[in-house]
Amino acid sequence: MVVSVIERSVMVANRLGLHARPAAEFVKIASKFEADIKVSRDNMEVNGKSILGVMTLAAECGSTLVLQANGGDAEAAVEELAAMLATDFAEEI
Amino acid sequence: MNHERVIKGLGVSPGITVGPVYVMRAELPAITHRVISRDEVTDEVERLHQAIEVVGKQLEGLRQHTLDRAGVEEAKIFGAQIAMLKDEHFLGEVETLVRENLLTAERAFEFESLELRELWAQSSSATLQQRVSDLAGIQTRVLHALLGQSLEDVLHGAGDRPVIVVARELTPGLTVQLEQGKVTGLASEFGARTSHAAILARSLEIPCVMGLVGGIDRIHSGVDALLDGTRGVLLLDPTEEEIKEAYGREGLRIRLGRELEAVVDRAARTKDGSNVILRGNVDLPEEIESAIEHGAEGVGLFRTEFLVVGRTQLPGEDEQASFFERIGTRFAPHPVVIRSYDLGGDKFPAAFRTAPEANPFLGWRAIRVCLDQPDIMRTQIRAILRARASADVRLMLPLVTQIEEVMRTRELIGEAVEQLQKDGVPIGTDLPVGVMVETPAAAMMVEQLSECADFLSVGTNDLTQYTLAVDRGNARLADRFTPLHPAVVRLLKRVVDCGVRRGKDVSVCGEMASEPLSTLLLLGLGYRVLSSSPGALPLVRWLIRQVEIEATERAAAAALAASTNDEVTEALEHAMGEYVDLDLLEAGRLPVS
Repeated sequence: MVVSVIERSVMVANRLGLHARPAAEFVKIASKFEADIKVSRDNMEVNGKSILGVMTLAAECGSTLVLQANGGDAEAAVEELAAMLATDFAEEI
Repeated sequence: MNHERVIKGLGVSPGITVGPVYVMRAELPAITHRVISRDEVTDEVERLHQAIEVVGKQLEGLRQHTLDRAGVEEAKIFGAQIAMLKDEHFLGEVETLVRENLLTAERAFEFESLELRELWAQSSSATLQQRVSDLAGIQTRVLHALLGQSLEDVLHGAGDRPVIVVARELTPGLTVQLEQGKVTGLASEFGARTSHAAILARSLEIPCVMGLVGGIDRIHSGVDALLDGTRGVLLLDPTEEEIKEAYGREGLRIRLGRELEAVVDRAARTKDGSNVILRGNVDLPEEIESAIEHGAEGVGLFRTEFLVVGRTQLPGEDEQASFFERIGTRFAPHPVVIRSYDLGGDKFPAAFRTAPEANPFLGWRAIRVCLDQPDIMRTQIRAILRARASADVRLMLPLVTQIEEVMRTRELIGEAVEQLQKDGVPIGTDLPVGVMVETPAAAMMVEQLSECADFLSVGTNDLTQYTLAVDRGNARLADRFTPLHPAVVRLLKRVVDCGVRRGKDVSVCGEMASEPLSTLLLLGLGYRVLSSSPGALPLVRWLIRQVEIEATERAAAAALAASTNDEVTEALEHAMGEYVDLDLLEAGRLPVS
């Protein structure tokens, strides 16, 4: 298995930021992958498969997150997570 | 009124209710410290997982209950809570504490969750602070499950009469568990509009007041109270008269609400057929959808400061361009007026920062910073030019006092157009440039400014502040900050006359465009484009549909002849009274929070 580390910066597009419900969605996607996933903002880094960690980043709309995946499916993981963050999955409330 | 009886907070779910109070003291269970032996570790970990299972089922039940009673979006709150409960990383840490430090499951769980609560409560993000009560709700449930206690019926002992529940903190789980019919209102010390419990209270249509700071220790179960979720007040021992007054006001509010709702999709046209264009002011990205829902025909003031605040670097051209394009396309075919950074020198990231100033409002800020550090302006200009390739975005300059500032900006635009074209980047070359008239200098030079600008927009808050030499942030001067001062009225007249004469678009994008009396004045002076915060748009639209231009013109003429604030206000109130029930209008005025 080829192990690769993929890193990418993404701007959070959801107008309400990456709060509870979108964070749950993010973690659900991250957990599909084998790769270890780290998310960081400024000086804080958290486990991308932990909703409590992702929520702790308090990433509001317009903030930039760095995704880092390490493992066989790292590229696909970063691809899908970046696409999710770049979408304004607008919610009603 | 006896002020001991009034406890003020923040109205987060509107409506009025009267009844006995039930003070709920749901505290976290006390955990005794106990160390386990190595042999017990496996059982202890198993106990933790069983408790998580039990609470998972409870939350799933609440999710289903909320789905039935409130809706899909509201139910997602519990979906997220279940994910928080089952967070493997978090549970892994708890397990480690059990295995390595030989703590009991409840002690380990409490330790980890307290640490997280602390971290969230201290966060600079208001949203994350609001999520602390979600965490507390989960924590309480897990600890109860581990201790073999069931979360007792919270209303046990509240009696048969429906009650107003008062708690230190309302968790989402608690809010939906409270049976409708048994609970007519909610109040708490902690929490704000964006708390999940507040969102749920609004969709369940239960009046709710939060932020009763330090108030609940004065309240005892059984005392009668009036809860006003519209104004954010809990009134103890209300008199018959107070109850009647509150319901009367509430009735008017509901009536006005219905009238506003009925005209949301209708044209902002006066009774005698004059059309007004209503745009929204957008401060934050989350207001975009709100502006659209409230019928905004474009954005009259898109503030870009949120892009900078709290960041270590200025946002780059690509980021701004994609953002501007997104908002521009969202409002198509209407325009979006983007204002260049309106910030003081101390608000920019470190590289551009300067020492604090003695008079920041008269200092190095807004257009002055952007032109003195032209790279800041160039980046915004290039981003807007690129967005204009696909959307009607326009540029507006804040705090203009000199013609040269507009000329210099135009030079920068010319250079940027040339460079971008040379690089083959798609742009819209015909970028309209507008001037914000918010200083007496700009209002006096409006003829000359309109020769080099494509449109004018009056920022009434700053125009008032600079004309009257009154700091609008100074509480001692609050009653001197009067946008209806005759001097301001005259300047407003000067600007609109010039725009009309020269055929330039002229609008108002300050708070005056959302205050009923001022709206009437602006119409009478000749303004036909108003931009206000999204929430104020329905009231402004409704108001415009009630009045006749001819009467507003008479009122404006009287206001122009007035020599005091009171005379201006009287002239406007007189005209307003001819068309609108003033009590009804008053009922629509929410307290400033």
